[in-house]
Amino acid sequence: MAGAHSTLAKRLIVLWTVAIIGFLYIPMVSVVLASFSRKRYFSFPINAWDTKWYEKAFQSLSVRELLTTSLNVAVLVTIFSVFLAFLGALAFARYDWKGRKLFQKVVLLPIFFPQAVLGLALLLWFSALGITTSWQTAVFAHMIWIVPIVTLIISIQVYSFDPALEEAAFDLGASRWQVLREVTLPILSPGLVSGSVFAFLLSWGNFPLSLFTTGADQTVPEWLYAKMVSGYTPMVPTLGSLTMGGAVLVVFGVYLMFMLRKWRRGGKDAGPAVESESGA
Amino acid sequence: MSEVGAKPILQLRKICKKFGDFTAVNNINLEIGAGEFFTIVGPSGSGKTTLIRLLVGMDQPTDGDILLRDKRLNDVPANQRPTCMVFQSLALFPHKTVGENIEFSMKISGVDGAARKERANELMKQLRLPLEYYSKNVNQCSGGERQRIALARALAFDPQILFFDEPLASLDFRLRKTLEKELKDIHRETGKTFVYITHSLEEAMVMSDRIGIMRRGSIVQVGTPHEIYNRPRNKFVAQFMGEVNTLEVRRSGEASVCSTGDGQQFQVAGIPAEFQSGHLIIRPEAVKIGEAAQGLENTVRGKLFNSYSLGSRLQYQVRSTSGDSPWLVEMLQDEPYTGELDDEVVIGWRKEDSILVSD
Amino acid sequence: MSKWWKPGFLTALPVLLFLLVGFAGPLLMVLGYSLMPPKTFSLIQMPTLANFISIVKDSYYISFNWSLTLALTTVVLLLVICYPIAYGMAKLFGKWANLVTVLVAVPLLISENIRLFGWVLFLLKNGILDGSLKFLFDASAPSVLYSVPAIVLGLVYVYLPFMLFPLVIGLSMVPDTVKEAASDLGATRFQVFREIELPLAMPGVMIGCMLVFILALGSLAESKILGGQVVVMIADDIESAFTFAQNWPKGSALSALLILFSGTLVFYLFKKIDLDRILGRR
Repeated sequence: MAGAHSTLAKRLIVLWTVAIIGFLYIPMVSVVLASFSRKRYFSFPINAWDTKWYEKAFQSLSVRELLTTSLNVAVLVTIFSVFLAFLGALAFARYDWKGRKLFQKVVLLPIFFPQAVLGLALLLWFSALGITTSWQTAVFAHMIWIVPIVTLIISIQVYSFDPALEEAAFDLGASRWQVLREVTLPILSPGLVSGSVFAFLLSWGNFPLSLFTTGADQTVPEWLYAKMVSGYTPMVPTLGSLTMGGAVLVVFGVYLMFMLRKWRRGGKDAGPAVESESGA
Repeated sequence: MSEVGAKPILQLRKICKKFGDFTAVNNINLEIGAGEFFTIVGPSGSGKTTLIRLLVGMDQPTDGDILLRDKRLNDVPANQRPTCMVFQSLALFPHKTVGENIEFSMKISGVDGAARKERANELMKQLRLPLEYYSKNVNQCSGGERQRIALARALAFDPQILFFDEPLASLDFRLRKTLEKELKDIHRETGKTFVYITHSLEEAMVMSDRIGIMRRGSIVQVGTPHEIYNRPRNKFVAQFMGEVNTLEVRRSGEASVCSTGDGQQFQVAGIPAEFQSGHLIIRPEAVKIGEAAQGLENTVRGKLFNSYSLGSRLQYQVRSTSGDSPWLVEMLQDEPYTGELDDEVVIGWRKEDSILVSD
Repeated sequence: MSKWWKPGFLTALPVLLFLLVGFAGPLLMVLGYSLMPPKTFSLIQMPTLANFISIVKDSYYISFNWSLTLALTTVVLLLVICYPIAYGMAKLFGKWANLVTVLVAVPLLISENIRLFGWVLFLLKNGILDGSLKFLFDASAPSVLYSVPAIVLGLVYVYLPFMLFPLVIGLSMVPDTVKEAASDLGATRFQVFREIELPLAMPGVMIGCMLVFILALGSLAESKILGGQVVVMIADDIESAFTFAQNWPKGSALSALLILFSGTLVFYLFKKIDLDRILGRR
């Protein structure tokens, strides 16, 4: 469509995209900047840079406890969610069965649900069942929201999976289990990895569900929220920067892993080729 | 080259299209007459799709002029050109009904509903689409029906030239044959100029008044189907038609005889004055085998080593004693050669069937 | 058919059971509580509509109103902001589209709290914007923090990816040749947009709008952190009914209203779209 877009329109779109991406990163940059300010109360420009809040954070026992709780929740959520979502994605996208269309919609419902209300509903539910809320119940709560998202992510990978590959392996004498291990899982692994990353980080950063379901335990986002509402403390940007750093590290690490794999395969992408309809 | 009969409706002057360093269309000059069915044929990658995109205005040429009835068309965007294309993918609007698809251009230009519907029904009748399809979703139509809808949609635009980008390529053989003939009928009924591109010379032969053969961005020969078939300008055009027997030859001392590197001599109807060396082309159906080859001007001895049925014809492969690449011979089913495989045979052809081409 | 019925159903079963216990159960519980007498903590009582009646009588319509207004504003703004970007990602950027996807998705993986707090730091008096302006031009920034525009900013910011990605999917479902065909048949650029592009991208547009609308409707953190309680949104009311006021039935009734409203929209949306086509693109 070379002729249909003026270069001006194209440039404006690129400019707009860059501007909006910049907009998306303003708050992150703000938080990181604030974490290096020595002052108790934040003001800009920063005239006294310092890393003392990081030192304090690393020494603090309560910070360590917060991080441990958040990590425990996120790891368990990841493991359980990816397992459930893997099976769910097969039902969502792989198999042709009677209730599939309905299943797809039912699975996606929790994504469309306000999390705060879901958190409160779960609080009612736990108390009605006589379960004391703690970080374990938060794992369950996070999963209600995260399993659907991970199912969706893995499903997209499953859609591009050719069932004939499984049949071919089966035909060549592999057992059901061997088919799964040798063919299905390796081919779906990019979807499983991205699913895991999303599961981990969405749980790690979740606030509205944790707020109502962790009971006496506290995750990092909850603590941050409590401090934000009750008044500024430099530990908020510091701990915020730390968790952001962790998230970026995870994303970047996984991205590198993918690139390495692609590079090892000689640049051949496992994904479906994009067809172009134009050109001779 | 044969001349345009009527006054030319479309003229291409030194058209070039470059994508970076790659020249997709290279210096094309062409005139297409009003009311003509002109087909551009070329293998994939020859630049024919690029060329047609230039002609309809989806892309702009890097160089040269496109003239429609003597008016320069280069800078007129596609939506303001009085021409229209039937796409390879057909590009039917999937969210619209058959009727809405056909009426699209009329709706755009503000024709009122009743007149639109009347015209749409007329076109559906002409294209043998059942009238009750009017409110059917286009996605529920079969391949052949979709072709007809795309054609009706283009005709409803009432274009001065109708372009076709290989619309029949994805259809099965029988349907393709039917639609080729229907298309020719519609061409005659409407009297419009059709410009068609395809990779199949066979398809082009069936429908076209004239054919342009394209190779690597250039047009190598323009002519009627008869001319292309009987007087291919070079080896590429000759081989493009299908399987042919090809021998490398040069001029010999005698007037209508050419000779191969190993000294075989073959008679031809006449050698053009400028010809020095090139290829001798003999179509398989011109070559006779066994009894039928007796008394022909050119003969070759060899061994029959394979035979195939092509339906209406039989094809034989003969390895000549002099060891050139195997010869192909085709005979009609009702005059089969009855010998056994590995028999010594004689094959031959008339000197009129020797086609000499320079490269 | 019956051969495939089995693995399909079996693989669906764990998720279905999980959602039955973790999603359907709590929702029914909320609906149940909404019919209990106010300020009680048990489900075994005479059902009553008292909560709903008091909601209608009280001034809750104000917070419903605010939630609806803010959610609608967010949807409209995001549609305008995201459409050109989505168009670029689907049609113009080529391989760069992947980078844009990653850059837009990464913030999703950082706690909403922290990101909203970042905006507080940016907009604060003597914050990054104000401080920079003072430092560079000796002018101070208008104080936006703790106001309705700040809440809108927060909502637009947080839900941007939820609009963008569905739009990208929607727009990439529009084949270029179909648009070219329309243009070839005489349609102007605007006519191509109205007749072809928008209708064909509609599933993506609808998903994006619905998702953002419903999520913004039930949002809590934006109004608390950036709005500083200048406006009470419906989720605030629900939260305080449950926690501060200890009135579970009232909170449940408010939740039930929100759920029914969003649920109707989602139901309508799901009826209109075919997920296989949108996600599988085959």
